[in-house]
Amino acid sequence: MRMEVSGTDEWGSEAYRKLFEDIMSDIGKSSLIDTAVLVLRAEIPFFVFSVKLRAEPSSRTVSDVASLRQEGSTVHLSITDEKYAPEILAQLWKRYGRGSVVQQTRFDLDAENAEREEVGSLVVSSGDEFMQEIIGAVWRIMPEGIKARHSFSNGDTMTIMATEEIIQPYMMEEALKIHRALLEREASDV
Amino acid sequence: MFEVMMYDGGVYRSDELFEMIEDVGGVVLNKNRSAQMLIVTMSIPGEDKAAVKKLCEAIGGTVKSVPLAGTEIAVVGPTLGRHHMPHPICDIAEELRRYGAITVVMGLARGRGKATSQISMKEREIIEEYDAAIFMMGNFKSCIEAKTDIIKDIRTPLMLVTGPMPEGLEDTCEAIIPGVGRKTERMRLPPERTKLDEIADRMDEILREKRRTIEEDPLFVHPAEVKQLLEDYEPIDMSLRPAPIVLHLDGLRVKIPMKEHYEDLYNVEVYGRKLGEVASISESKINDSSTLIRIKTRSQVEDEDRQKKA
Repeated sequence: MRMEVSGTDEWGSEAYRKLFEDIMSDIGKSSLIDTAVLVLRAEIPFFVFSVKLRAEPSSRTVSDVASLRQEGSTVHLSITDEKYAPEILAQLWKRYGRGSVVQQTRFDLDAENAEREEVGSLVVSSGDEFMQEIIGAVWRIMPEGIKARHSFSNGDTMTIMATEEIIQPYMMEEALKIHRALLEREASDV
Repeated sequence: MFEVMMYDGGVYRSDELFEMIEDVGGVVLNKNRSAQMLIVTMSIPGEDKAAVKKLCEAIGGTVKSVPLAGTEIAVVGPTLGRHHMPHPICDIAEELRRYGAITVVMGLARGRGKATSQISMKEREIIEEYDAAIFMMGNFKSCIEAKTDIIKDIRTPLMLVTGPMPEGLEDTCEAIIPGVGRKTERMRLPPERTKLDEIADRMDEILREKRRTIEEDPLFVHPAEVKQLLEDYEPIDMSLRPAPIVLHLDGLRVKIPMKEHYEDLYNVEVYGRKLGEVASISESKINDSSTLIRIKTRSQVEDEDRQKKA
């Protein structure tokens, strides 16, 4: 994750760089962020947090996070990414009913009267949820009292700007400028 | 001269320790038992310190110095939101408890923001109930300096813990400790532990100064003596709250409702006087389940006696 922090308060800029890194790392998203641009002007106050992801978030299906095997009318699932286990179970229950889903172990499930392709295509995480998690984290990083906020989101880039009272036109313009500049930038190879 | 120390060990033979504290004329300030472990904060005469220490070690415990024992300190954050809690506010409160203080963590209702941050009169009065308060502020110098109004009228010793060093706030508080700011994880690295020690040491100095001021016009009775008298009062004895009596430098917080017990508290006999005559008894501003007893100074009691005679 590349970070570009600019601010008028030296201590604050350094502190917010660390806060951003720590919180993104806590939610396990730092490896998915290509570049983060933080503009911190506490004296106004005016803050812009712009994030470019390595790739545009897309939906994940059961076949992305589990290996599947068909035996007769039963599909055996072996979950490879633990994070999605609760959602897989919820989707299977929803589609086939609790009576048709057998949990052999924590990671091994059987879905009776099911088709491999159908099970594999069940969506366990949408791209929107991913973006929501990032937005939630950015809100948590931003100073608490800076409540007047506006966000822009296009593909793999999202920008949140915030101020304390009225959002002035020049603030919107500056945030949009940062957002467009980051949107047009090529993702790094790092 | 009484000295405060803390026994940290097992419950085994602890009855011998309590007997000794009583024999030497000492007072148990706080007793905290968890399973087979026991922590006792006591105030004992200086000349008996060696004997008590020897007994503590003989029964398998250790003795620690607790310079902040007998005080109650508020650690105040701009809010109780996840931006400020639990770190570093709880880390500071924990460090003060290690030094023997009773601590409370508070968040203001509208303390966040730069131009919109506020403190209410009630919040101010609650903070003033404590022996001292620590205000935790954030990472931006201009925001900290803009919050001067929040702290300037609080009439209890105040320490400001901040990220950058603010300017122009020196006269509004007793001390400013920079270098902390907002944090997302525990303060466990060596420089952070050193910073916590610095905060606790500075608080010790602030409270020593407050003690010195109180000693210039001594209290009619030491709060620990009142605590001893109140411990046998049944509603306090039966109270299930962790510390039903909390010592302050100039009084006590008794965790029973004032409305129901005012008469009984007023009539407790202290050196031939009624407690209500030598102390002011009032309801805590937090809620009506606690009562504050502020002991009057000797000169204040004498002056009131003179006025009554006249």
